[in-house]
Amino acid sequence: MERTGAEILLNTLSEEGVSEIFGYPGASTLAIHDCINETGIKHLLVRHEQAAAHAADGYARATGKVGVCIATSGPGATNLVTGIATAYMDSTPMIALTGQVTTGLLGSDAFQETDIIGITMPITKHSFLVQDVRDMASTVREAINIATSGRPGPVVIDLPRDVLAARCNDDEEGGGGFLEQQEIHFGEEELRRLKQIARLLNESERPVLLVGGGVKLSQAFTELADVIQKGNIPFVTTMMGIGSVYTPNGFNLGLIGTHGTDLANRIVHQSDFILAVGARFSDRTTSVIEEFAPLATIAQIDVDPTSIGKNIKTDISVVSDIRVALQELLGLVTEKKREDWIARIDRERERIAKEGSDDGCGPAGECIRMVQECMPEKTIAVTDVGLNQIWAIRSWKVKIPRGLITPGGLGTMGFSVPASMGARIGAIDHEVVVFTGDGGFFMNIQELATIGFYNIPVKIVVFNNGNLGMIRQIQHHFYNSRYRDSRLSDLVDITEIAKGFGIPSEKVAAEDPRKGIEKLCGSEGPFLLEVVVDENNYVYPIIPPGKSNVEMIYGRSE
Amino acid sequence: MKNEVKEHVISMLVNNRPGVLARVAGVFGRLGYNIESLCVAETISPKVSRITSVSKADPAFTEKVKKQLNRLVDVISVAELEDDTSAKREMMLIGITIDEKNRPELSRAITMFGCTVISMKDSYCILQVVGNRGDVETVLNFLTPLGVKDIARTGAVALESGA
Repeated sequence: MERTGAEILLNTLSEEGVSEIFGYPGASTLAIHDCINETGIKHLLVRHEQAAAHAADGYARATGKVGVCIATSGPGATNLVTGIATAYMDSTPMIALTGQVTTGLLGSDAFQETDIIGITMPITKHSFLVQDVRDMASTVREAINIATSGRPGPVVIDLPRDVLAARCNDDEEGGGGFLEQQEIHFGEEELRRLKQIARLLNESERPVLLVGGGVKLSQAFTELADVIQKGNIPFVTTMMGIGSVYTPNGFNLGLIGTHGTDLANRIVHQSDFILAVGARFSDRTTSVIEEFAPLATIAQIDVDPTSIGKNIKTDISVVSDIRVALQELLGLVTEKKREDWIARIDRERERIAKEGSDDGCGPAGECIRMVQECMPEKTIAVTDVGLNQIWAIRSWKVKIPRGLITPGGLGTMGFSVPASMGARIGAIDHEVVVFTGDGGFFMNIQELATIGFYNIPVKIVVFNNGNLGMIRQIQHHFYNSRYRDSRLSDLVDITEIAKGFGIPSEKVAAEDPRKGIEKLCGSEGPFLLEVVVDENNYVYPIIPPGKSNVEMIYGRSE
Repeated sequence: MKNEVKEHVISMLVNNRPGVLARVAGVFGRLGYNIESLCVAETISPKVSRITSVSKADPAFTEKVKKQLNRLVDVISVAELEDDTSAKREMMLIGITIDEKNRPELSRAITMFGCTVISMKDSYCILQVVGNRGDVETVLNFLTPLGVKDIARTGAVALESGA
């Protein structure tokens, strides 16, 4: 059978399980759009390429499957860059298809030509320029394999216009593929090291598990819960680790680090053994690295050898798929009561509850709790960046795997609305709620058109404080309250904008949001709830720059 | 591990396809790892190239660079070659004009150091020197006062001794 490059591309994606692509057409990619419907793949037309990348990212994070986005050459491709970088930082499996000028024009500064492979080299796991239609199928398969295996990440496939149009018979296609991706091997050496970790864990008196985003990526939800329950080991999570494990009985001490809870940061500081699973000890997690967990022996399990000892000196480590390692570890961990340690944590918890030091999200945090009560248990929360992100992370109790999606590594404002579209389309039997601020909301506001057009039933909560709230808080504490350039216009009526896009909308005050929340949760289709928040509703505790995790600033949010 | 700056030879096997050198160089560049010399060529398999790089850095930094290199999809293996377990050679081409004054010293040097004359046009000749870095530099130091016009060096290529 003879097919065009575009047909081979789409057929191969389809064979690999891809059923949705988010994108925006251009002259270079028309061959693909021309036949996309015939291949059974659904294309969702966004209103800006950045949103296509975030939607593919949200799709992947909500489902665990690879997310795919497409943009044309030149500006289309460069508009993907922020979304690709976001996916790279949080290790999302993603394929970004980019149009390219015909091979004969490469390097000639042709119309809408840009070296997207060169531009994205530091923010992709790998990239391909397909120069021969016979390599199309093998390239796509290799790209998906790379994007999804080991530590996942985005892969760019650059597709010159003539290669998409060229025809080729099945029997001419190259078997292709250079070298197979190396399988992560769990052998004798890994087992020996894991046994050592287990021994240290069993002997420790005050252990803490540090749960990172790697647990989600290797789908080790139940394995992690089993180890926690068997060993009675309390755990903390990094921002990316949220939504990896749900234990109802108080093992979860919460988020650690710059925006972490008083409880998590204090307990880690007192611990004598930390086992990090799928966490890279980023600066947001450790704050001042020399003062991080001073009493603890540190062990680390990660699939990516680069992440081991990258930021912190670990005492012992295993390179392994996390799921495999945790399955082995479960047999090696002894059942232990750890009464003293648990009692000590409980005392700390009581003190913190009495002092209210972890209740620093104010009325905004209360709103998020009310939204969660109103929504089904299987709801996925998607956050933007800024105060809304920390409020949501601290107030939304994640009860399902992948129950919270947040751009932790890159901190991309404008992520939440497009990512929620991808999440809602991928996880079809889950409700999706967005928590964003007025700043981030405006950065991809055009996607309300996409949501309206496809009637994607996402629930959007915009916390409007008329400011870049987190920037304002930093200015308040560390720039003598000089609020330079952080005030946004108060003249915009967000609900009217939403209605203009065909999305029903209400406006409430954070102190009295119930009626609006009921409408939000009760709506069949998409809904936007604007919640007016006082500009002094900050988030506490926070850790000042250059301070350790236990030198928090406490405060009450108005 | 004591952090003292020394010379590190990194030997990589990589897929022989376009853009691979850019990726490898990108890692060096992003981390600020300065390259003293770099040598790239095909191996016995046409699908695989060997990249040999020499840098002066402390061991911990070199470890970090090796890990990042290993992360590249097109990098098949990364090894650091130590002096006592590997053979290392480099080549230098030296361009020099022969005249009545330097002729006796030059012919003495060619015999003494085992240089090969690989090109002679009018009175301009190109000499080839092969050896370890010290050997090559000794020859250069000897010839410089005689009027060296130009040089080109390969940088080190290296192989682990004993298969």
